Amino acid sequence: MNIHFNTPEGTRDRLFAECLERRQVQGALVDLFRRRGYAEVITPEVEFYDLFVHSGSPLPQETMLKIIDRSGKIMVMRPDSTTPIARLAATKLKTLPLPQRLYYDQTVFRSGNAHEGGSSEIAQCGVEMLGATGKKADLEMIALAVDALRACGLDGFHIEVGHVGFYQNLASRMKMPQEEQERMRQLIEGKNYAVLNDFLEPYTAQPDCAALRRLPYLFGGAEVLEEARALAGDCPSLDYLEQLYGELCQAGYGDYVRFDLGLVHQIDYYTGVVFRGYATGAGAPVLSGGRYDNLVELFGRRAEATGFAVDVDAVGGCLEVDVPRLLTVIHYESGCLGRALEVMDRLPAGTCELSPCRTLSSTMNLAKEKGALQVLSLDDSGERWLEV
Amino acid sequence: MSQRLRIALTKGRLQDKSVELFERMGLDCTPIRNPGRRLIHAVPNYPLDAVLAKAPDVITYVEHGVCDLGIVGKDTILEKGGAFYEVLDLGFGRCRFALAVKAGSDFYATYKTRRVASKYPNVTRAFFEHKGMDVDIIKIEGSVELAPILGLADGIVDIVETGATLKENGLVPIEDVAQVSARLIVNTASMKLHKQEILDFIQQCQANLSGT
Repeated sequence: MNIHFNTPEGTRDRLFAECLERRQVQGALVDLFRRRGYAEVITPEVEFYDLFVHSGSPLPQETMLKIIDRSGKIMVMRPDSTTPIARLAATKLKTLPLPQRLYYDQTVFRSGNAHEGGSSEIAQCGVEMLGATGKKADLEMIALAVDALRACGLDGFHIEVGHVGFYQNLASRMKMPQEEQERMRQLIEGKNYAVLNDFLEPYTAQPDCAALRRLPYLFGGAEVLEEARALAGDCPSLDYLEQLYGELCQAGYGDYVRFDLGLVHQIDYYTGVVFRGYATGAGAPVLSGGRYDNLVELFGRRAEATGFAVDVDAVGGCLEVDVPRLLTVIHYESGCLGRALEVMDRLPAGTCELSPCRTLSSTMNLAKEKGALQVLSLDDSGERWLEV
Repeated sequence: MSQRLRIALTKGRLQDKSVELFERMGLDCTPIRNPGRRLIHAVPNYPLDAVLAKAPDVITYVEHGVCDLGIVGKDTILEKGGAFYEVLDLGFGRCRFALAVKAGSDFYATYKTRRVASKYPNVTRAFFEHKGMDVDIIKIEGSVELAPILGLADGIVDIVETGATLKENGLVPIEDVAQVSARLIVNTASMKLHKQEILDFIQQCQANLSGT
């Protein structure tokens, strides 16, 4: 039999620098989330497939990794963390007072297309605030999103905020068949300017047509809110975004916040503010979230909710992480182990290792082979630093 | 800070048309016309670098964000899909996907599951799914016209420009599947990070599209 030692498509071994990147990002995020009053939950790696069907998950079923358990039930490797958290919030946490602030730091599994270079294992670190609605909750969440990317040490980044109500308001006033509405939404989501223009041609007479035509362009700084108002007239979701922006500026977050009123993905799932984080060096959003007031209720308890997830490795890929290099090898004679460990614990992590060799000359050879700069020799008479 | 944009162009006919478009926009395309051994071609008078790639690779490069922009046929977009902004129909490279059968045969006149050959299995599947019809799809890499002639398939779904090749082989297009032309696509993150540069570029492309 031919045995292969490769890892399955979409998975990989992560070594050294990749681990440091991931742990650094996770550490920064977890630290921040805790300080902001979020408590950790860990949900099972495997859930019933029905859970995601029941919740109307926007993830296509072919992206879920499935397992059949002993009783013949279909299970999936956790494809997202928000649905399981909504499940547990409505069941296990049923009696706890709201709001509940929860964070998670776990992998989600999504099988991508073969040979597309994507990963099936996505390390996500995110938060959910359950049972709080209104401006203060949304402000807290957007500020946390900014602070999260800042805490990771990203250089250039911004959080882009939209509101599904703006599009829904315009779309609901359009006299247009249902399936055409969905087509229009897709064109706006894909910023398909030219096709959208042609598509809307027969609807030119309707008052909201101009705003819809312009919608894919309505992203950028706060000026897009003014432009949107000029096009669409007064609209509660615009007022709301303006108020949020005002408060975020006052709190010192203005520079990190932009807008995209054309964020119209998963329109049936999100119910209010939506946002995404973009960072220099990443080809896709590194953070994604928004308000989803109807999900938890599907599991039996009404709890308005908002949250976001950070794609940990996407953020890590934008960072320069220094991998510590081995500088010192410690050689100790018998009876000196305690001193050797004491010295070692004082040196920066990853720069020092103990020699398992019996003789000093073997230790010198080992140090040379490993590229260390010096050997510290410890014996009863004291310590000696030797250059390699 | 003005950022140099990187664009992936589909090699071949679309590349020539793209270069013609760029030249109408006043871009100096000498480096693209005379590529030599270089792989990245810097436009001297515009902050744009071009790379040449096969059509599906254009999408891959743009999706992964190693190219900000791409020019690729709608046929490839339909077949391969992906997450990016499709911002402009460039109007050139125009043709259509059509279902073609042997002249004189009636594709729909049987209950038997029909077999369709195509280089574009996903487009074919979507087309017949939409009709609620089960078909066997056979992926053919080369001249798809051969499949019905040899009796391997009842019909083909393929790109049709003039229909001359079909006619020579005794096939007739019986139904349009989709219209195809070259599209300008943009990486989603690039669009947000370099909004002004990219919108300027799109606008200039749009202003210089020829009538054809």
